[in-house]
Amino acid sequence: MPMIEIKNLHKYFGDLEVLKGIDLSIEQGEVVVIVGASGSGKSTLLRCINKLEELTSGEIIVDGYSLTDKSTDINMIRTEAGMVFQQFNLFPHMTTLQNVTLGPLKVRRMKRAEANNFGMELLKKVGLEDKAKVYPDQLSGGQKQRVAIARSLALRPKVMLFDEPTSALDPELVGEVLEVMKTLAREGMTMVVVTHEMGFANEVADRVIFVDDGVILEQAPPKEFFSNPQFERTRTFLGKVQNPNAG
Amino acid sequence: MAFDFDASVMWDSVPILMTGIRLTIIITIVGLFFGFIFGATAGLLKLSRNVLLRKLAGAYVESIRGTPLMVQVMFLYFGLPMAVGMRIPPLTAGIVTIALNSGAYIAEIVRGAVQSINPGQMEAARSIGLTRFQAMRYVVWPQALKRMIPPLGNQFIISLKDTSLLVVIGVGELTRTGQEIISVNFRAFEVWLTVAIMYLALTMTISKILSIVEEKVFHVKR
Repeated sequence: MPMIEIKNLHKYFGDLEVLKGIDLSIEQGEVVVIVGASGSGKSTLLRCINKLEELTSGEIIVDGYSLTDKSTDINMIRTEAGMVFQQFNLFPHMTTLQNVTLGPLKVRRMKRAEANNFGMELLKKVGLEDKAKVYPDQLSGGQKQRVAIARSLALRPKVMLFDEPTSALDPELVGEVLEVMKTLAREGMTMVVVTHEMGFANEVADRVIFVDDGVILEQAPPKEFFSNPQFERTRTFLGKVQNPNAG
Repeated sequence: MAFDFDASVMWDSVPILMTGIRLTIIITIVGLFFGFIFGATAGLLKLSRNVLLRKLAGAYVESIRGTPLMVQVMFLYFGLPMAVGMRIPPLTAGIVTIALNSGAYIAEIVRGAVQSINPGQMEAARSIGLTRFQAMRYVVWPQALKRMIPPLGNQFIISLKDTSLLVVIGVGELTRTGQEIISVNFRAFEVWLTVAIMYLALTMTISKILSIVEEKVFHVKR
């Protein structure tokens, strides 16, 4: 059984059809990178997977639970599919550790001491155990994003969704976030990543998906995808992102 | 005729004015306590997904904001008894008016503060599995409360000064007490000056308390 299964997904914003029939199946442990021009619908696709966006029609099944099934507890699905945002969205009134332990305490009903231990373990994993008592406004962008990853991991999700996790970062801070993501991938985490980091896609992804105008135009393992794209639109896109000044 | 300022009049009026201050403080505190409850409720109803509740809260805010406080209190104290045949004591009428009136403004403060929180905060909270209520309780509200403090301070000060309008229904608060003293000694300059200084002391106390709350509770640096 695939970890995520998307069947004929359509999504409208008002009259605008953003997703025009997406079919996608993602296996457990697979790392899928979604690329595409801005406005192509790739972020919307990702946000549908944990229902931050309502689907207009079609079906999404995460770990065997259908998102459209009324009996499915959406909060439970969200703990199974952690989300990392472009703008980090850390809670500014909480320390780094409190950000990470909020989910375990309130959703998993963990004891405080246990949650703190677990939180410290996760901060250590992202290399920020010395920042546990610090508030987000004292962290760099890269550090904030690593805390946000730890906050999602605190729910022990089966899938991690990344929505352009490095797009808001200064170039010199991108590497530290990608390192954490690579570690997760090596540990066998199922990951769906929307990104413009083609180097990351090439190195880590099992499959690269090109979304264009609301449909999946082509998908392939990274070597094949980058060396031999099938469609002219894909070639144009790759030309632009790999050599932005030529555009 | 030369005006000769007599400071002793000011000192002599203090004990009587203190009874007025006592009432002013009671009306302000009790009025704002209920005002905050009305305001928080109406503010959250205005953010509700239910259209009827939104319209209801909107009607309350509009009707109170759109009419003068003095008309509201006279309607409540003189007008309403004629219709229902039951008189409310002036102090109660005063407190109810301050509560209803401040509640309408506080509703807008609450709504504005909650809406000013980046929607990404709610999304992040929901994405770690918190329910909508939990997300409000642990993520949105604490941040919104912090943003409410300055405008709330404003409203507290306005409501305190508004209690002076209750003279029209004869509540023995600070302004009324001042009027009574002047009607006996005719020393308008000294007495109104004393009354003004007392209001200033009260409003400055409110400002100070709120800045302490901001600093100690919400860690706002000045």
